[in-house]
Amino acid sequence: MKDSCSSISKRLEKYFDNEATDEEKSLVGKHLLSCPPCQSALTSMEGIRDLMKGPVEEAVQKEDFSWVWQKIQREIRIKERPTRWEYFLSWLDRPSLFQKRVWMPAAAAIIILVLITAQLLLKKTPSYPDPTVVVYTESQTHNVMVYESGKGMVTVIWLFEGPEKELPAS
Amino acid sequence: MRRRTLSPTLIFILILLLFLFSTSFAFAQVQTRVRVVYASNVGAIIDPLLGDLHNQLRSVFSFTSYRLLGDVSIILIGNNPIEVFVHRGRSIELALVEKHRDMAEMKIMMRMKEVPILNTQVRLSSGKTVFIGGPLYEEGAAIIALSANF
Repeated sequence: MKDSCSSISKRLEKYFDNEATDEEKSLVGKHLLSCPPCQSALTSMEGIRDLMKGPVEEAVQKEDFSWVWQKIQREIRIKERPTRWEYFLSWLDRPSLFQKRVWMPAAAAIIILVLITAQLLLKKTPSYPDPTVVVYTESQTHNVMVYESGKGMVTVIWLFEGPEKELPAS
Repeated sequence: MRRRTLSPTLIFILILLLFLFSTSFAFAQVQTRVRVVYASNVGAIIDPLLGDLHNQLRSVFSFTSYRLLGDVSIILIGNNPIEVFVHRGRSIELALVEKHRDMAEMKIMMRMKEVPILNTQVRLSSGKTVFIGGPLYEEGAAIIALSANF
């Protein structure tokens, strides 16, 4: 191997991978014409590539990459979407929530409204002591009779055209 | 100057409490049943749809025939009056005045062709009935049976 081989060998891999610039390609090409060791190195690289190419291509053909990619995308979407609880926690983490200025009136409003609501909800309405069913009754056009049965189960309010015109059925 | 805005949390809490506050008032409601019966002394037909109401009618009236003309259930909430058309141009307007644990007080306005003919206020216990009847027409009378459940 000549002295220049050390500088060429760095470019040889790029040349082999088809990543070299035109200038590098020209330089390496000229060197290869007159350097059997570098030719041999290039040939061995090509041999290794050929050895690997067959099984890799076979494996690629067998693999369903579109399905794999879809699965990956789905996983990414699932991981990116926060759960309701995470969303709620992040919502609570807002700095404005911990500002005293916001919480003081809110706490005061809660206490006042809870007290009012609790009074209404827990108030035990007393049973009505007066057994009278008919509070009042009035009519500008008819006479009215009110009858309440002894046990208070049935109450009747009966309208008459006039005392002389009709009587209740019983 | 920094503009002060209401936090979403504060708005949420206020709405929640407002809802609780409003629902506490919604408890003052009474399910009321209005049944219209035509009672007469023509024949002896007892409408089977009357059910238990027939025994109550028979305990206070001596008509021989009872026929159910209408059966309406309404829910009285607060002081919102509800009008029910009864029979032959007659209607009754019901409004809840007050509700106690075992009694509902309601105002009743009966009209005949838009003319008020009866203004009354009654206290209804759950399961009990108030009859509003008369005047007599043809061979009988229309009787309105009011009952409440709460």
